[in-house]
Amino acid sequence: MTFETYEWIRAAAFTGAGLSVGLSAIGAAIGEGYTAGKANQAVSYRPNLSGEILRTMLVGQAVAETAGIFGLVIAMMLLFSPAEGHSILTAWAYLGAGLAMGLSAIGSGVGSGLPAGSACEGIGRQPGMANKLNTLMLIGSGVSQSPAIFGFLIALLLLFKPLPDTMALIPAFSLLASGLCMGFGAIGPGIGDGIVAGNAVTGAARNPETLSILTRTMLVGQAVTESTAIYALVVALLLSLNT
Amino acid sequence: MDITGVEFIKAIAFLGAGLAMGLGAIGPGIGEGFAAGKACEAIGRRPEEAGLLTRTMLVGQAVSESTGIYSLVVALLLLFVV
Repeated sequence: MTFETYEWIRAAAFTGAGLSVGLSAIGAAIGEGYTAGKANQAVSYRPNLSGEILRTMLVGQAVAETAGIFGLVIAMMLLFSPAEGHSILTAWAYLGAGLAMGLSAIGSGVGSGLPAGSACEGIGRQPGMANKLNTLMLIGSGVSQSPAIFGFLIALLLLFKPLPDTMALIPAFSLLASGLCMGFGAIGPGIGDGIVAGNAVTGAARNPETLSILTRTMLVGQAVTESTAIYALVVALLLSLNT
Repeated sequence: MDITGVEFIKAIAFLGAGLAMGLGAIGPGIGEGFAAGKACEAIGRRPEEAGLLTRTMLVGQAVSESTGIYSLVVALLLLFVV
């Protein structure tokens, strides 16, 4: 049983699409569920603030959903990507792109949910701080999304990279490893950034005058947490050069 | 497709480099997040100790980072030396 080159490429593109949207859905769903759980808890203590808490919950969930949307976009691009006349190496690149996007979105999805949950809880505690807590939550969630954005970049790079026609083992494995490296490497920093932002929002809700110092500490802490995602990005870029 | 032994080893080394850096980044990412998260919580409780807490946070994160740097070193070794 032998297949044509374009059939292999198509099979890899479909597998990559499934991995991209399937894995990225894990993180986004967990993060949004956590946010909704915390929002329910806050509403049960302060039913009169339900409108405010609901609004914060929806904004936070929308940010957490972004990671899932990145996964959906890459999956769509893979589903409709061209296969005829392409090198067999394209199949490896498509598989790598799906893995890079899907795995990297897990961390950011979970991470973005944590500050949103803390913000809902904090508004229940300090209703007057709602706008400031929302701002801090959005900054924190936005930084938590950055590992997913790195994954999105590597996925796009792998999707549109011009590849040589001849099949060889080294470029094939390099393309796959590039996707695996960025994907796995982004899980930890995504969750870690979210933990930092979540606790910063909790701290600001407990003690409102610490808001500015907490914003600073949060950004420093997130920058250090982010460093391993940047190492993974560098190694993934180096690996993708091997073709 | 003919694959020589050298090519095979190099291809597997590249796969190993990707896995080393990718999996190696999970732990430090989450761990450093815990360190910074608890530091933020503590500053919320005792803002007057912010300097001390930031210093402790950075030292803790530097230690958590070490396994991430080991992974980076091993990945670069697999990429360029092996």
